[in-house]
Amino acid sequence: MTFEEAQKELEAVVRKLETGQADLDEALTLWQRGDELYRFCLGRLDSAQGKIEDLASKVDSLRPAEPA
Amino acid sequence: MKVEAIEYGDRKVFSVGAFNRGVADWLSRLPTLWVEGEVTELRRQERWATVFLTLKDPSDGACLSVSMPRAQFDALRLELADGEHVHVYGRPELFAARGDFRFRALSIERFGLGDHLAALERLKQKLAHEGVFDRKRPLPRFPRRVGLVTGNDAAAKRDVLTAITTRFPPARVVVAETYVQGPRAAGAIVDAIGALCEIPDVDVIIVARGGGSFEDLLPFSDERLVRAVAGCRVPIVSAVGHEQDTPLSDLAADARASTPSVAARLVVPDADELCERLEQTRQRLHHAPLLMLERKRAALESAHGRLRALSPRATLDRGYAIVRREGAIVRSGGDVGTGARVDVELAEGGFGATVEETR
Repeated sequence: MTFEEAQKELEAVVRKLETGQADLDEALTLWQRGDELYRFCLGRLDSAQGKIEDLASKVDSLRPAEPA
Repeated sequence: MKVEAIEYGDRKVFSVGAFNRGVADWLSRLPTLWVEGEVTELRRQERWATVFLTLKDPSDGACLSVSMPRAQFDALRLELADGEHVHVYGRPELFAARGDFRFRALSIERFGLGDHLAALERLKQKLAHEGVFDRKRPLPRFPRRVGLVTGNDAAAKRDVLTAITTRFPPARVVVAETYVQGPRAAGAIVDAIGALCEIPDVDVIIVARGGGSFEDLLPFSDERLVRAVAGCRVPIVSAVGHEQDTPLSDLAADARASTPSVAARLVVPDADELCERLEQTRQRLHHAPLLMLERKRAALESAHGRLRALSPRATLDRGYAIVRREGAIVRSGGDVGTGARVDVELAEGGFGATVEETR
């Protein structure tokens, strides 16, 4: 599952819960699913941020010195 | 006319008079024609029957002696002075008595700036009508090589080269030195442009010449050159003369530069500006993904906030309880009978219970 898919599903879950269409059993399942999706997305964001910061610091170290 | 030779054995020898007469006769067969030049050493005296002057080619200094009967010359009422530009109609002749070669004038016309301008204007109209001035191509942003057509006098060449390398130090320039003045200039410049076009990675050509007199810049209005500029394989920047000069090749060129630094600005990018832009792009590259992450994180947190508000746990926290019978949620008193076992879930923990009464 990609981040985007997970996020999209999370939004759908939240919308469904908000409209109150789901019965309680379903709501509980949905809520659990939503929580899972949130954690998944958060994990992906954190790892992406780590990678980007890593790369940025590598690029910075490769930068040539300013000409005098 | 028969020129008699004296024979000494097997050697034929001509007298001076006979030789001169022979050459004069030969010359007299040449056609009558117009010659253009500048008047110098004009000699006219009341007691002379003939007026003499020397016609000089301003571009290379070549001279021609001209003579004209004084009565005819006076009748023209030209009031000529040294330095004036004229067209002389006449034919070559040899003054046999002295062996002097002369151009015998039948008529003289002053050919001034006005006539030059009128001739140029006619050419301009003709070329404009053909659409020679209409093709304007964009100049390359990063030319692999820049061709430079210039005179071998250092000034114009150095100015353009300096301007280019100052603006864009890694620029590669091929210089084609040529005549930029005089009767051979137009043809030579056409050849130089052609030679630069043969070099495959020349992507733009500058034709440069410093300022000069109207006559100095005339080759740049030569029809051959104007057509060559218009038909060139690569775009041409004309950097000829000063702001106020507009030779026709300027109009045919793809761009016009009034100074060497303008020419440089047209053909090469500014290295400093490129570096600055690269640095800006680098910074944006650095920040863009983080910004994107932030936006995504905000959207995620907002969804999560809403999710949390909807959590069943939140409902239980407010004092509600969930009653289940054999795992299924009980919604109505009728769903259970008296004595049924139910499970009750609370915000914290829960308990089992037995139904005593239904309503």
